[in-house]
Amino acid sequence: MNTTWPVLTGIGSVTPYGPLAGLIPAELLEPGTITAWTTPGLRRAFLVEPFRPAAVVPGLKTRRLDRLSAWALVASSLALQDAGVDLNLIDRSSIAVFFATGFGCVELTEAFFQSAAANGWAGTDPITFPETLGNAPASHVALFHDLRGPNVTISSKSFAAESALLQAASLLRHGQADLAVVLAGDTLTQAVYEWYEAAHLLAPACFSNEPTFSADGFIPGEGVVAMVLEPAGRQTARSYAALGAGRWAADGDARAAVRQLLGDARLDFVICAGNGAPCSSTAEAYPARDLVGEDTAIYPAQAAAAGMGEAGALLHLLLALSKRPGQGQALLLGRSAHGGYAALRLELF
Amino acid sequence: MTDAQKTIVVTGIGAVSPYGPNLSSLQAGMLAGQCALHPATELYPSFQGTVAAVSAWPSHAEGHRYSRTDRLAMAAARDAVAGLDGSGSALRESGIVMASTVAGLSEIDAEISRGPAAWYRQGGLSRAASYPVSRVAASVGEHLGIEGPACAVSVACASGAMAIALGANLLLDQAAPMVLAGGSDALCPFTLSGFNSLQALDTEPCRPFDQNRKGLNIGEGAAVLVLETLANAARRGARILAVLRGWAMTNDAFHPTAPHKDGAGLASCIQRALEMAECGVEEVGYVNAHGTGTPLNDVAEANAYQSAFRGRSRPIPVSSTKSYFGHCLGAAGALEAAITITAMQNSALFPTLRLTDPIESADIDWLRGELRRQPLPVAMSVSAGFGGSNAALVFGSHRI
Repeated sequence: MNTTWPVLTGIGSVTPYGPLAGLIPAELLEPGTITAWTTPGLRRAFLVEPFRPAAVVPGLKTRRLDRLSAWALVASSLALQDAGVDLNLIDRSSIAVFFATGFGCVELTEAFFQSAAANGWAGTDPITFPETLGNAPASHVALFHDLRGPNVTISSKSFAAESALLQAASLLRHGQADLAVVLAGDTLTQAVYEWYEAAHLLAPACFSNEPTFSADGFIPGEGVVAMVLEPAGRQTARSYAALGAGRWAADGDARAAVRQLLGDARLDFVICAGNGAPCSSTAEAYPARDLVGEDTAIYPAQAAAAGMGEAGALLHLLLALSKRPGQGQALLLGRSAHGGYAALRLELF
Repeated sequence: MTDAQKTIVVTGIGAVSPYGPNLSSLQAGMLAGQCALHPATELYPSFQGTVAAVSAWPSHAEGHRYSRTDRLAMAAARDAVAGLDGSGSALRESGIVMASTVAGLSEIDAEISRGPAAWYRQGGLSRAASYPVSRVAASVGEHLGIEGPACAVSVACASGAMAIALGANLLLDQAAPMVLAGGSDALCPFTLSGFNSLQALDTEPCRPFDQNRKGLNIGEGAAVLVLETLANAARRGARILAVLRGWAMTNDAFHPTAPHKDGAGLASCIQRALEMAECGVEEVGYVNAHGTGTPLNDVAEANAYQSAFRGRSRPIPVSSTKSYFGHCLGAAGALEAAITITAMQNSALFPTLRLTDPIESADIDWLRGELRRQPLPVAMSVSAGFGGSNAALVFGSHRI
């Protein structure tokens, strides 16, 4: 692999597994029962248990923030800590923040609508409004860590997280940043969950205590995963992986794209990112085998990560790294029901 | 990579604005010095203020599958590719980077907060489907049959310029043969109410960079630029409208909503864009400023220009074209990029309307009064937004 590819040196996460630095105990997780709002019966999802951010990151003030912003602050802090980055030794004007999300700050958007419903459009809350903007989490990360490089929030149907990884790596390659903090995440709210339910997208496991293995529908999830990318050779900590070339497209021939991406390279693992796809516990239920040879190990899409939709790929990658499938060439592969695909070459260390 | 593979050019521009449904109506309105701002009560009877709306377009003919923001984006993209010849499969494989802050919020009522499930049952389900900002990029792709990499950018009012910067990066990465990059945002009660709650709006037509400025006016619209490498454009014999010589993005890391008073982050952004463009401060003939008309933004921006263009032998010409049709939020940076290229093509420096008593600065040539005619080989468009984000684009004319 080209040694100029950036390396992944730090991971932080706030997910249903808890707030954690580095790899996570990737045991099978069952969804939890929703209690944050009144539901018409049992409703389940992969939920982040409430915690006090300042207990994880001393000095962190999150009182007025959306949970998404608070989690982004915690996850980014843990990732920088895991990478062993001393921000005092780095030109912070060259540190980029790239945030991928499907719904953005939907909690405070709903709160703003509530204030409009209660008081009329002339009586809305001025403190809430700026926090409804999609870039609020990324800008809070910049503000907290004094990161003055490019600060970008993106969304991409099915592939926001993959797109963020690729575009952040591009900033490093083109000298537009010296280090990047890539984050991906979403929060689950009543309005989002009930939209999934009204659209008949939910798996049976959302409504009963049955196991999550059904491939029919998905189980919504929430959380934020942060990853630190640095140019190869400049990192101070160990690296989890090097990021190679990638492609993503809204539609087209995924097989040809993957072949072009891999060239003659031998592939050891495929990490499936089943964003928005039905949850599955088996590789067979996920169409990766048709893209790679029979001797390539497939790490299947995980329900907890698939539940995060287009922001889920970082959690898929984190879960795969945590399983320690071994060293070698890997492909992070996402495919959507609409014909889209995202493929990113990795070298796992 | 050869120089031609690293040089990014603009080969198409489309726009939908309060002047009309295409770029030519925007250009005609701007060159005529027309102000498109109107009392908001025509659209929102309970709202005392000034806005600039796109009238008679777009309709809801396609139902609620597409939000108003989506439809504005689709129309601007169609306008952008209308004049493309010989693009063939390159257009189908193009990338799309669209900016928006409002996206499908325009389709959602406050009533959703009283009970989402009931609101969905009463017709809200399809309207809510257009809520995610990614829909804006996806809609453009669906509308034009484009299958390449697509993403949406949501970085408040710097979004549109950032979409163009990220689109250029996609071309450097050879991720697509062409990229449609731009922004779109619709007027809606949510944003009018939000800016009103912050007391950031001027109820009268705004006066950017004036000492008596009181705030901004909200507008709506969309603009899309077709970007490709010079090599690709030359291969298909495309007409080159401008060269995107440099771009940069920075963050103030200062305050969630207020810019740093000395404009340090924005100045750094401008300097980086000039470095990438290999362009000296003397070469820039015009800056299309962010210029919202709010007390904090405009003074920070003036300080940024003083700092970034220090050493020039003449004051730097600056204007805010938000004085013509308001602040189109996520679309602003893209619309202003289109206006900057229009200025270059027409050797026309647009004045800021209603600028009678400018912020004092010996280093800035505040454009006001009549349209100034002069050759303009290099010009810059600058954007900033809530959250401290800044973006700068340097455009140059193409020499054959």
